[in-house]
Amino acid sequence: MNRIEVENLNVHFDDAQILKDVNIKIPKNTVTSLIGPSGCGKSTFIRTINRMNDLISGFKKEGHIYLDGQEIYDPSVDVVELRKKVGMVFQKPNPFPKSVFDNVAYGLKVHGITDKNIVEERVRESLKSAALWEEVKEKLEKSALGLSGGQQQRLCIARTIAIEPEVILMDEPCSALDPISTTKIEDLIHKLKKEYTIVIVTHNMQQATRVSKFTSFFLHGEIVESARTERLFLEPKDKRTEDYITGRFG
Amino acid sequence: MEKRYPRILFRKRLKDLRKEVNDIGKLTLKAHKDSVNIFADYDENMVEDVLATSKKIDEMVFYLERKCISIIAAEQPVAKDLRFIEACIKVGSHLKRIGHLAANIAQASDYIKDETIPKKPQEDLKHMADFVQMMLSKGIHAFLDQNMEMARELKQDDDKVDDLFDQALEHITRSMFKDKESISYLVHLLFVARYMERVGDRAVSIADKTIFMITCEKP
Repeated sequence: MNRIEVENLNVHFDDAQILKDVNIKIPKNTVTSLIGPSGCGKSTFIRTINRMNDLISGFKKEGHIYLDGQEIYDPSVDVVELRKKVGMVFQKPNPFPKSVFDNVAYGLKVHGITDKNIVEERVRESLKSAALWEEVKEKLEKSALGLSGGQQQRLCIARTIAIEPEVILMDEPCSALDPISTTKIEDLIHKLKKEYTIVIVTHNMQQATRVSKFTSFFLHGEIVESARTERLFLEPKDKRTEDYITGRFG
Repeated sequence: MEKRYPRILFRKRLKDLRKEVNDIGKLTLKAHKDSVNIFADYDENMVEDVLATSKKIDEMVFYLERKCISIIAAEQPVAKDLRFIEACIKVGSHLKRIGHLAANIAQASDYIKDETIPKKPQEDLKHMADFVQMMLSKGIHAFLDQNMEMARELKQDDDKVDDLFDQALEHITRSMFKDKESISYLVHLLFVARYMERVGDRAVSIADKTIFMITCEKP
């Protein structure tokens, strides 16, 4: 079953066309990697999935994006509700200048969950799911800014999953992290896919092969090739994909 | 048009790998050819040469494999580059085994050198030796030139070499029945026929690897 279905998506910022006729189906509880050179539209694409481009001037979209069959750009859709379902983790860890606990509890409060016991329970569970609990359980009241980069990124993931989204979008979540922290995030992605649908933008081909079941190659705003990851990296069908993944252009 | 980044060092490393497989291939062909020559025309020094060549092939394959692993670790190749490197490792391993079989043939000749070999088995083995040498050459060149057609031909060649082996087996067995005293050395003739047939099998395996490398399909 597909969690997300994108049909003939075209995105313009003013006169510049960023995405051209993008069609993709993202199955439930899988990890899908988006690869491609800088400026090919990967980030614009995932930002379109939780309507983060809406407020950017000149943004114009044609085509459809369905989340569980519901068109997310339909006027009846509440954007706050949509973002509760579709969480986002960014390239650079961006914890709030608050305590570790408050960072995770923040989203819950925004969404009206105020019962102290429930909030505590959800914070603990989210930190456990994000494989961070053991490292921070003694310093929940300390500032999140004191954590290492890898811990901050896992905190951001905990913050995202605290509100129990259906989809987690990750925009190069490991590019600012050292190899050990990267391994921890990748292990976490493996664990999270059992409950969430994950879309990850990555410049690291090996990461795509390690974490994802499906991979799509973007070039100049178009999807050149989508396939099972193993197939795409062993036996790409399109010459442009082959050239990109083997490093013949960038 | 995208900006091209040819990964110059990586390309050079792949080219070097191909050259190494080529060098090992040449040595293997030589080892096999020498071994069957010894069989027809015994020369003790040549036996030593074949054994030394086989050892040299072992060593070269060891360094080839090490280089392949180091390229995989450093360059993280994918797609056809990865398939090529994997094929180099496998082909190297087949060539190494062929080197051993050549050494086996050379050593077996020692048991036959003073005997008169019956005409028919002698002809069979001569025919087999030429045919297998051709198969080996085809396999190595199919891989180096990524020649699918040549690689596919080897499947049919394999049937032919199997037939030749069966024929040799029949003739050798008949000779054994005719002269029971001859069994002690004719048995080594059987071994030689078997070694040659195995060389043919290895050549087919090289061709199969080539087909996978090019098409990513089961040969």
